[in-house]
Amino acid sequence: MLMMLIAGIAVLAFISASAMFLIWWERKVSAHIQSRFGPMRVGWHGVLQPIADAVKLLLKEDIRPAEADKLVWWLAPFFAVVPPVMAFAAIPFGKSLIPKDLNVGILYIMAISSVCVIGIFMAGWGSNNKYSLLGGMRSAAQIVSYEIPMILSMITVVMHANSLSMQKIVEAQSRHWNILHPNMLLAALVYTIAATAEVNRAPFDIPEAESELVAGFHTEYSGMKFAMFFIGEYTNLFIIAAISTTLFFGGWHGPFLPPVVWFLSKTYLCIFIWMWVRWTFPRARVDQLMAFAWKVLTPIAFVNLAITGWLLLK
Amino acid sequence: MVIIKIIKLSKDLVIGAWSLIKGLVITLKNCFIPAITLQYPAQKQPMTDRFRGLVDLHPEKCIICYQCVKICPVACLAIAHKQENNKKVISEFKYNMELCCFCGMCQQVCPTSAIYMNKIYEISVYDRDKTHINLLNPGKYIEWLNTSIK
Repeated sequence: MLMMLIAGIAVLAFISASAMFLIWWERKVSAHIQSRFGPMRVGWHGVLQPIADAVKLLLKEDIRPAEADKLVWWLAPFFAVVPPVMAFAAIPFGKSLIPKDLNVGILYIMAISSVCVIGIFMAGWGSNNKYSLLGGMRSAAQIVSYEIPMILSMITVVMHANSLSMQKIVEAQSRHWNILHPNMLLAALVYTIAATAEVNRAPFDIPEAESELVAGFHTEYSGMKFAMFFIGEYTNLFIIAAISTTLFFGGWHGPFLPPVVWFLSKTYLCIFIWMWVRWTFPRARVDQLMAFAWKVLTPIAFVNLAITGWLLLK
Repeated sequence: MVIIKIIKLSKDLVIGAWSLIKGLVITLKNCFIPAITLQYPAQKQPMTDRFRGLVDLHPEKCIICYQCVKICPVACLAIAHKQENNKKVISEFKYNMELCCFCGMCQQVCPTSAIYMNKIYEISVYDRDKTHINLLNPGKYIEWLNTSIK
């Protein structure tokens, strides 16, 4: 019981620290890609900028639209933050450093992180604003569509490891990483693209496309509620990077350094790739996005699954 | 027909993927070049040769012809002189920076290039009196120069 409590507190502390670091890092990466400096004033190279922003957001007035659906509007930010936090329960940081090694780990993570879309849709509906509603609906369509290729690409890994447990999947990669198999490489590519859409990041950030929808589902939110969406977004980013590390890049396996260092460095490298992609590519159109999911990614994922099955039976 | 379509689609996919990789390479390269932004109060952009900052004066070159006073469209310059040994000596050269429209006419009209415009561009002051500048005072712009570029 006490251990669970300590694990919970540690996870929460890690999530807030990680979200703050990621916000700073994203700003720095985007700045350097655009030949700028990014935040430089608060602390060394602006490292304390997220804290300054958090203080600002805490002190801001919490404005509620007059016609908003009060309960739904109020609950939405919690639904956006809680699922990614719950997903941490099955992320293996090290050999024994896992909050709870569920025997259905990957299934649990997928099920939990799908709940996120409810939060986003609640925000869109509750705001009673056409932009928010459009953003929420786009998000629902996008996340539901991209979940299919994402899960199909995960199944290839599960077939190899013969288990749904995250720890067993990592242990199955003790000799060589999954990414070294050609069919797994394809699965990793499909997963990366689908996960980008899952967390609503550019080039698939149509739910919050500022040129069309102001800020999409979180247009009407301010202060700490907006900050919660932000934390949820970055925690989700960490989760998808952690999953890709676990599934394709050998998890915490690595020589010399302690496993947790390996796991975190691989995860943050994956996150850097997502940031790099975000600041390189322009936003996809809604129809292109859906067509890509159903006509390209899903067939590729299915073919890949069939090939994996054939390779395993051979 | 279907085969042609599939070939076209896969060709598009390959070309598209290649262009995406090209874009990624460009942004990654950009990541490692030094930023072109200047950290403003610490680093400053040197002004161009023809930049018109505040009006400045070489008092020894001035022949007290009053051309600058006459041409100034906003009347921000004021000169006074006195006679000493049958020779004009400049006694006062006032410049009202608050009125100045930075047109550079004084600089153009000056026959000896005594009056000119310097490169100071951070010209806001807290005190209104500081906008009335005595151009004969050699240390008149020291306060600005300490915070601005040379």
